[in-house]
Amino acid sequence: MKRTYLGEFEEVVLLIVAVLNGQAYGLMITEELEKQTGRSVSLSAVHAALQRLEEKGFVHSRMGGATQERGGRRKRFFTVTVAGSRALQEIQEVRMHLWGMMPKSG
Amino acid sequence: MNASIRPPKWADQLLAWFCAPHLLEEIQGDLHERYHKQRQERGKAAADAAYVGCVLSFIRPFTLKRKSPPYIQASFTDMLQNYFIIALRHMKRNKVFSTINIAGLSVGLACCMLIFLYTKDEVSFDRFHEKKDRIFRVSATLPDPEGNVFKTGSTNMIVGPSLQQEIPEMEAYVRMSSDRHVIRVVTKTFNQQTLWVDQNFFSVFSFPLLSGNPDKVLSDIRAVVITEQMALTYFGTSKVVGKTIELEMGETFEPFTVTGVAKNTPQNSSIQFDLLFPYQYIAERFPDKEWLGFYINTFVVLHPQAQYQTVEPKLDQVFMSKATEELKRAQQNGFKGVPHFGLQPLLQIHLDTEYGDIRNGLQYGSNPMYSYILSGIAIFILLIACINFINLTTAHSLKRSKEIGIRKVVGGNRGQLIRQFLNESFVCCFIAFVLALLMVVLVLPFFNELANKRLSFSYLLDGTLAGAYLGLFLLTGLIAGFYPAFVLSGFNPIQSLSKRYTFSGKNYLTKGLVIAQFSLAAFLMIVTIVVYSQFDYLTTKDLGYTDEHLVHVSLGRGDHSNLVNVFKNELANEASVERVASKDFGQNFTIAEVEGKELFFAFSRIDENYLPTLQIPLAKGRNFSKNYPADAENSIVVNETFVKEAGWKDPIGKTVYNVNGNAKNLTVIGVVKDYHFLSLKEKIQPLLFRLGTGDLWIKLKPAQTLKGLQAIEQTYHKLVPYRPFEFAFMDEVNRKNYEAEAKWKQIITVAAMLSIFVSCIGLFGLTILSTERRTREIGIRKVFGASASQIATLLSAHFIKLVLFSFVMAVPAAWYSSRTWLENFAYQIDVSWWMFALAGVLILVIALATVSVQAIKASIINPASSLRSE
Repeated sequence: MKRTYLGEFEEVVLLIVAVLNGQAYGLMITEELEKQTGRSVSLSAVHAALQRLEEKGFVHSRMGGATQERGGRRKRFFTVTVAGSRALQEIQEVRMHLWGMMPKSG
Repeated sequence: MNASIRPPKWADQLLAWFCAPHLLEEIQGDLHERYHKQRQERGKAAADAAYVGCVLSFIRPFTLKRKSPPYIQASFTDMLQNYFIIALRHMKRNKVFSTINIAGLSVGLACCMLIFLYTKDEVSFDRFHEKKDRIFRVSATLPDPEGNVFKTGSTNMIVGPSLQQEIPEMEAYVRMSSDRHVIRVVTKTFNQQTLWVDQNFFSVFSFPLLSGNPDKVLSDIRAVVITEQMALTYFGTSKVVGKTIELEMGETFEPFTVTGVAKNTPQNSSIQFDLLFPYQYIAERFPDKEWLGFYINTFVVLHPQAQYQTVEPKLDQVFMSKATEELKRAQQNGFKGVPHFGLQPLLQIHLDTEYGDIRNGLQYGSNPMYSYILSGIAIFILLIACINFINLTTAHSLKRSKEIGIRKVVGGNRGQLIRQFLNESFVCCFIAFVLALLMVVLVLPFFNELANKRLSFSYLLDGTLAGAYLGLFLLTGLIAGFYPAFVLSGFNPIQSLSKRYTFSGKNYLTKGLVIAQFSLAAFLMIVTIVVYSQFDYLTTKDLGYTDEHLVHVSLGRGDHSNLVNVFKNELANEASVERVASKDFGQNFTIAEVEGKELFFAFSRIDENYLPTLQIPLAKGRNFSKNYPADAENSIVVNETFVKEAGWKDPIGKTVYNVNGNAKNLTVIGVVKDYHFLSLKEKIQPLLFRLGTGDLWIKLKPAQTLKGLQAIEQTYHKLVPYRPFEFAFMDEVNRKNYEAEAKWKQIITVAAMLSIFVSCIGLFGLTILSTERRTREIGIRKVFGASASQIATLLSAHFIKLVLFSFVMAVPAAWYSSRTWLENFAYQIDVSWWMFALAGVLILVIALATVSVQAIKASIINPASSLRSE
């Protein structure tokens, strides 16, 4: 079965996009990521990841939501596509399966 | 938003520059939003730093990669036809500008082509010999009588055979000596250049023979090889093997048999000959075993494996082992230092200025400086033409802004526009290129005359040269077209379509280029004036004697005292002949002892008539005279420089010892005023006369020169029936000293005229454009009462300022170059201010004339018509 590979960082970004539920854009995703994982993430890395995710068809984007802070520039909002949420589920299932196989210790 | 809360501008610009446009909005938005937050939380400095870092971190492949447009791209060839059509239409519509561009470029290209031709010929010298890399000329480094070292390509009879005997790497040697002889063919006599070479000449050098066996033609001591052209001149046919040519040797004629006919020597050959005689003849008749003689060329061929660097030191070893005794003897007689022998590659002879000894059958040596200067001038002119193209196209492009806008709106991208404009410059260049080829064909004879060449257009069929021309064409097209293509394609379509588009800024480029053009032109102009003045000085300066109506009649080598006396008697009754004198031919130099030290000076034998005939005044003492019979043996006359160098206060009665190796004292009886017996390129040297005879120097009465000449010729034929009559007017001979300078004068004049012409047509074009652009302004000014002259001044002032500035720029370079050139002459003019002033006025007048035609035309237009137009 051919599967599109999803990197660890991409997976986290995709999860956050799903969590933010339609309100996700570059900066917000970065901040949320830092808040949730506690690690420092560069904005450009997130943009690059989003770019790749969109190419793979896991996210969908639309422009909108210009604010004054942004100098009137619009945001690109991302939402998870069906393919994206399926990919997340598959990863989840594989993990659950593997956890289930783990011998009980002690 | 608070205007002060802005990230560093340059970082923002950097981002906008590298980031793909389709990503820029979101990325920049995110960055600004974050900056806004950080500014409030952490202050300006920290926020700025973070912003810069973040921008830099976005330099990643995905931001650099441009999104490909969603529509189909036209391929390069799709629009090609359209480009050509538009280019031709555009040229047709703007005839004036196309003419200016094409005229300028074709002149520039033609100059460059001629120089290519010239340079190619220069470097092709002597390359046709099969053994070219193995042939060397034996050279010598010698101390001269003043103790300075000088280098010569001449050696002697003994060097060749000795070297071959002692050095195993030497495969062969050829000695080569040239001479002038009177030759007799059947009954006619001619004065002819002869070349004497060893018998293996044709196996060492690759000169093809039309008839005769190359290995054997010169093996007989009475053989002669003649060139095809000479055979035709002398016999009227090239089938001359077996015929006889007689050579004057002393008092008799000796027969030589033609054994071979050679093809004419190629013009790019250093070795030039008409008649070849066996050197063995000279070697047998005038044997010479001295190593310290330097009078012929010796060529050697090395074995293919031999390295000439390793062979070269062996030459001195052979010399030292063979000539120690001779050197000792010479040093006792005042010879200073030790000569060194070396090898000079055949291929270097033509352009080598160090061993400037181009004689004994070698011709056309040339200074590489000549090539450099000619190339420099040609490139100057082409550059000026390219500048015209750039300036006019850029300035003219305002009119084409609408076309550019439309092309962009319907989907033409910048690359396509660049290609279009480059194409236009190539079309223009191509037409210029074809015209330049035609021009080259037309001016080639004139150029040959100037550059002392025999170039022909058939050279162009050569592969490398054709390649070079193609390269020249492409390079010119690129240089001329690159900048306009770059600027024009950058027009913003919205601006160019919606409003009148004007250049912003001050147009430094156009100004700079005009200044560059006119600086070059002014430079050449000043140099031309300097060259003219110096030339005028050389040809009109008082030489200290009179060379007018003075005929030199050659009598051949040696002392002809009886013959000279007969001539004097015969011509005494001739009304048209004023006076007959005699002096030996050419100018010899020798050494003698004066006041215990050695002096190097010029030496001549003259009769008592010589000084009065040439009107050389005496400063002290007396001339030679028949009344003093002892004059012939004991007396000398010297010039003032001689007196000065000898350190004499009262020269009359002083003595000079050992003149010409003649071990006795000679007494000074007279001193002549210094006169220029050499050309003005050289300082006056010490000069010493003894009594004697030689050639005839005959002064004719003014206005009867033709009659006098006829009388001389008749007498000559009567007295010396077997010799061809050869004569020369001295003023013409003197003028010939400055032939090289006369050629420089012509070259520099042509260069200056061409550069000014090309610069001015460019200026003309620019004026047309600037007046067109200001039509309405001129109209309004006139309505408000400006006079025609005020308007004309307004329009020309700007350009005139540029020209003046260029002139100032050119002055230092021109001054320096002129000084350097003048240093070649012992007698020179001073570079004075009036030369610069004259050049300045000339160039200003020419520029003013160019500009004012348009300016005046514009200033007299009725304002009503210029204001209505739009």
